[in-house]
Amino acid sequence: MAASALLLATPGAALAANNNSTSSKTAKAGSAKSAKAGGSRASAKEARASKAGSGASKTQLQAKGKRSAVADSQGAARPARKSARTAAPLQEANGAEARLIAVYELFGRGKSREALAKAQTLVRDHPNFQLAQLVYGDLLAAQVPPSNAMPDTAGIARLRGNPAMVELHEESRRRLQALRERPPAGTVPSQFLTLSTRSRFAIAVDASRSRLYLFENSDKGMKLVADYYISVGKSGTDKAVEGDARTPLGVYYITSSLDPRSLKDFYGAGALPINYPNPYDVRRGKTGSGIWLHGTPPQQFARAPLASDGCVVMANPDLKQLLRKVQIGATPVVTARSLQWISQPQAEKEEKKFADSITAWKDARASGNEAQLKKFYLPDFQRASRKPVDANSVLRDELTYAQGKRVQIKDVSYLHWRDTEDTMVATFGEVFEGEKNGRTRRQYWLRQAGEWKLFHEEILG
Amino acid sequence: MPKSPRPRARFSFSPTVRALFLAAAACGATLPALAATEHEDVDRLMQAGKLDEAMTKAEAFLKDKPRDPQMRFLKGVIQLDTGKRAEAIAAFTQLTQDAPELPEPFNNLAVIYASQNQFDKARNALESAIRTNPSYATAQENLGDVYARLASQAYSKALQLDQNNTAVQPKLAVIRTLFTAPPAAGGSKGSTLVASATTTPAPAPAAKPAPAPAPTPVAKAPAPAPVPAPAPVAKAPPAPAPAPAAAPVAPPVKVAAAPAPVAKTPEPAPAPAPAAAPAASTAEIESVVRGWAAAWAGQDMDRYLAAYGSDFVPAGGQSRKAWEEDRRARIVGKSSISVNLENLAIKVDGQTATAKFRQVYRADNLNIASRKTLELQRSGNQWHIRKESVGG
Repeated sequence: MAASALLLATPGAALAANNNSTSSKTAKAGSAKSAKAGGSRASAKEARASKAGSGASKTQLQAKGKRSAVADSQGAARPARKSARTAAPLQEANGAEARLIAVYELFGRGKSREALAKAQTLVRDHPNFQLAQLVYGDLLAAQVPPSNAMPDTAGIARLRGNPAMVELHEESRRRLQALRERPPAGTVPSQFLTLSTRSRFAIAVDASRSRLYLFENSDKGMKLVADYYISVGKSGTDKAVEGDARTPLGVYYITSSLDPRSLKDFYGAGALPINYPNPYDVRRGKTGSGIWLHGTPPQQFARAPLASDGCVVMANPDLKQLLRKVQIGATPVVTARSLQWISQPQAEKEEKKFADSITAWKDARASGNEAQLKKFYLPDFQRASRKPVDANSVLRDELTYAQGKRVQIKDVSYLHWRDTEDTMVATFGEVFEGEKNGRTRRQYWLRQAGEWKLFHEEILG
Repeated sequence: MPKSPRPRARFSFSPTVRALFLAAAACGATLPALAATEHEDVDRLMQAGKLDEAMTKAEAFLKDKPRDPQMRFLKGVIQLDTGKRAEAIAAFTQLTQDAPELPEPFNNLAVIYASQNQFDKARNALESAIRTNPSYATAQENLGDVYARLASQAYSKALQLDQNNTAVQPKLAVIRTLFTAPPAAGGSKGSTLVASATTTPAPAPAAKPAPAPAPTPVAKAPAPAPVPAPAPVAKAPPAPAPAPAAAPVAPPVKVAAAPAPVAKTPEPAPAPAPAAAPAASTAEIESVVRGWAAAWAGQDMDRYLAAYGSDFVPAGGQSRKAWEEDRRARIVGKSSISVNLENLAIKVDGQTATAKFRQVYRADNLNIASRKTLELQRSGNQWHIRKESVGG
């Protein structure tokens, strides 16, 4: 029974196909701006709340259930293997998680000796990988003849009854789920309608799977290059107010990279703040701050699926890989309850639809007709700048700025976010005919009665 | 080897290793009868607790024959008993290198490592012991204990618990004697060797004697403390008239060295006739032996223990009572045991008999085949086991 929950084998094929995953091109490493860590309030609270655990556990690998567990997992492996051919491969095999999966897989094929040997080296290399210790413990316990009347046998039963086991089993379940249910090959999260090649990487977090997906972006489109187990807020997602221990849902950008030397051990290998609350969050009155992607404290390799105070927490080796790739201000981070995957042609289709609105806005501006341009702005529109700018002065400013010139829009990124409302974060550069440079804008659009309207804009430079 | 009646105290050489020794003997590098008595003397001194004397004797012996594995092993055990762990480690390690075919030094190394909380090293050593001799029950059981400790350590790490409060030192069984040389050189008798006992019998859980014997392996009982279902079995009479049907084990057995096929000699020998027809006696012995195996498999401790005569001396100076406790601990509580006897060969010599066979023992996840010899003694009209040894 329980054993099968823990030991659903993942396809060996997926592991084997797992080669071209790391990009040979490496992003400019270590643009890590040393920022004042300053101990964000949210994060400090998180540190206090990192120990949790409740409920009662049952799922164990049991010596007696071994045979049926093997049968179960082989059964489960078959459909997974089939889908593996068309789904995205796992991350590189030397990752701790891939090694853990290899242990599951060996056990699933009845090779418990090999599984045990692999688990042993895994916990040797990552002694703080609690889930690996659990699996190692299960495999060892399966080797104990039931007749052994050692005090340890009772101790094992007691340990298995520890409430904290629930979290580890949930971690196991989510890791396996994310690995069994791979994103279909060639698809992207539905938020990524189009991404400028200036954003060389993009990040999408699926909270339901405790998974972070890293995409590499090039003129050939977006490609999933790695994915990692992550933890989110202990109260789940959809952050609304400061201190609710939830991870925000939305589309964000990485705003900085904090030097790990300036951080407490608790944050591990580093921290990447995101721009929560973004203008849409602010518009809806969401509060809170200090939402980071960060690493794990030294005593933990990975944290429980719901363990942070709203941050997205990764194992340090995984975070280090991420740190080499992200670009401050340019790497988008989508955090979703559950990601929807769409094909790239479908994304392009969606993109075209929205691009028409941008074009119409641009044309209205070029026409010099203030009334026509005004239709594109919500009354509470704001432009981020040092002093508040009202919608009317923005309109005049835009008309003066454009002055009927032909403008080219380039390096376009459209991030689509739908919840109770339909919003779009559009980032692009605009260059006037005959000029070399222009503004880079980030606009926040909201769809009302089928019409896209601007409610916020940032001029990035 | 099987779970012999004293699994923690016995050992046998695998046939290969035995062959190796015999071959060595044939080449002249023999273990002379004299040496055998020396080993026995040291062993006896150890059992009597006279460790200093035993050590003196062992060292004197090794002066002449520094490579003698048996005495080196004894010396290692003495070092272990006198608390010289480092020296014992060195002695056993050297033995594992010089005689890698011997499981015992690996086992004892593991015991020391475990006592130092080096459970991974203990595990490696025990696995080497078992590779050397897959049927090595003491090492198997020790390994089970080490796995249990490692598992509990891993779980503690998984839960990030302080492990200091979990540490009750597992008591692993030390092997005390490598082997006792045969009183007479060579011969089939001589290859049966008995080791002495460990002085630390395993903690015995409260034993519940099974009410009735089961003739075949007991059906898998999932309950942790299974009480074997009373299975009907023709009571194997220790009387001189064995019914072939009483033979509880299914596989047909070739009875070697029997003048007549056993199964066809149900003729009764009503009186305890010392000079009874050998055929009849052979059948009697077979009945006793099979009854013993069936009682074991059925976890019928009363009947099992009754198969041993009052003159049965557990090896290693263990008291009869301690031995019985030990056996109970090892037998009762297994979810299933099967004991099949193959190639049963019985030799009757007046009031004594020997039964040699291949014992295929399965219990839970153990599966062990080995040679075993039972020596039986007739008293009145009943046969009892007087001596039990593994190997041979």
